[in-house]
Amino acid sequence: MAAAMELRCWGGDWGLPSVHTESLIVLAYAKFSGAKVTVSPIDWTWKTLTAAVPELLCGETAVQEPTHILNFLRKQRFNADYELTARQGADTMAYIALLEEKLRPALLHTFWVDAENYTNLTRPWFASRSPFPLNFLVPSHHANTALSRILLTKGEAPLHRISEVEGKIYSDAKECLNLLSYRLGTADYFFGNSPTSLDAFVFGFVAPLHKARLPSGPLQSHLRLLDNLTRFCDTVLSVYFSSDHPCPSPPVQETVDANLQKLTQLVNKESNLIEKMDDNLRSSPQHKPHRPDPKHGLVSEKSSTPA
Amino acid sequence: MLLTAAEPWPENATLYQPLTEDQILLSDCASSLAVQAYLRMCGLPVQVVSRANAEYMSPSGKIPFIHVGNQVVSELGPIVQFTKAKGHSLSDGLDDVQRAEMKAYMELVNNMLLTAELYIQWCDDATAAEISRPRYSSPYSWPLSNILAYQKQWEVRRKMNAIGWGGKTLEQVYEDVSQCCQALSQRLGTQPYFFNKQPTELDALVFGHLFTILTTRLTNSELAERIKSYSNLLSFCKRIEQTYFEDKSS
Repeated sequence: MAAAMELRCWGGDWGLPSVHTESLIVLAYAKFSGAKVTVSPIDWTWKTLTAAVPELLCGETAVQEPTHILNFLRKQRFNADYELTARQGADTMAYIALLEEKLRPALLHTFWVDAENYTNLTRPWFASRSPFPLNFLVPSHHANTALSRILLTKGEAPLHRISEVEGKIYSDAKECLNLLSYRLGTADYFFGNSPTSLDAFVFGFVAPLHKARLPSGPLQSHLRLLDNLTRFCDTVLSVYFSSDHPCPSPPVQETVDANLQKLTQLVNKESNLIEKMDDNLRSSPQHKPHRPDPKHGLVSEKSSTPA
Repeated sequence: MLLTAAEPWPENATLYQPLTEDQILLSDCASSLAVQAYLRMCGLPVQVVSRANAEYMSPSGKIPFIHVGNQVVSELGPIVQFTKAKGHSLSDGLDDVQRAEMKAYMELVNNMLLTAELYIQWCDDATAAEISRPRYSSPYSWPLSNILAYQKQWEVRRKMNAIGWGGKTLEQVYEDVSQCCQALSQRLGTQPYFFNKQPTELDALVFGHLFTILTTRLTNSELAERIKSYSNLLSFCKRIEQTYFEDKSS
């Protein structure tokens, strides 16, 4: 089997396994795909400054950045996206791009640039997790990187001041959260009944915003209005990261079973469609009551005679 | 409520872009073509005017921008909102989930295709030296031409570093473009447009970028070759060109 894998990431707090978005994405995906990964937090070590977090070590290879780590895990046959269709895979790429473009600047701003949040929450947290004298360097380094990233990507040429970009990035982020909420609807996960890499990415971005105790959080209040997203985060936490329950097994990866599953899904979909048509027909005012068509009775569960 | 405050679309609306023959670069040409395609799809007439200082005239510094009545709006996103306020929209028929998908795919194109175009133009030394810098600074005389070209290159490289593309090789960028095109190709499938029968701003954006990449000559044709391997994207581009840009070629 695969060599032991070790993940270096930031530690956890506020009920999350990690407070760092990228680390959360990788941790969530590892749980979804059933990969056994030893988590070694870099807190209180010199790696807080030197390491590119998150980093996956497997034998001799070291992989960085969530996208590359997820690809690496897939190659090691830990694949949570196995049951996705090609079109759903394309949708995954598109939604991840949406998160990166629209949500990330506002999250960076909320945690690292907003003065109240930075001085009261983010800087003390990261400073307390770094050894002396790094506790002076690490938070300000991250804050500077965050600010320059926001200005370079969102600040247009004459508007090199953060105050002029703030309004735009927050409205973009609120719209992004709304779009995610529409897409999720009432389902537990974004694609079907088991979580995939898109769920990992959304969890990584949204969970810190949901759980952190931010002093000033307009974006957080907006997120609280979107019940299905907060429920999604809580579901993932309770199902995959709770120490009481064992993790559900990842999807079986044999091709025969996948085909059978797809066939069953198709048949169920057909039967649901037929039932719906039947319902519509029954409730239509022009419809004269009559006995149901016998050929639809193959998968229908309703009784054929009215009560 | 919308139309009482807004004036109707005037006949003399103009779209400004850099000089087509000598100055305009791949990424700007793609963005401009996307806006032109969108306006044609809405049936809104617009005159295309080329100016050497178009980038400086633009309110946000980005190409293209349109001058309508007494308002100036730049970039596809704000232009779509502007036309919506005037009562013209292509995406009204979409439900919430479809609109979310459309926005997500537009971000995918911006995130991958546009960034890759910028990378190839300015971070690849061969292309930058042979094509981008000479073209960008062609309206100006020395030494201003050198200063402006290197300033723009420095700006773009800083941005690439900030978003993590600074360390990528050209091969990785081509690979990213391939994946993006694969996603678009799978989403399009066999439909005529991305949301079946009616074109939307997503179709305009994808057309603008793909058509420009296919018809622009760079130092090597690797990028165009990658796109050509997806036949449904090729026929998509051809279809939009024939439907909306027919009069141009006559």
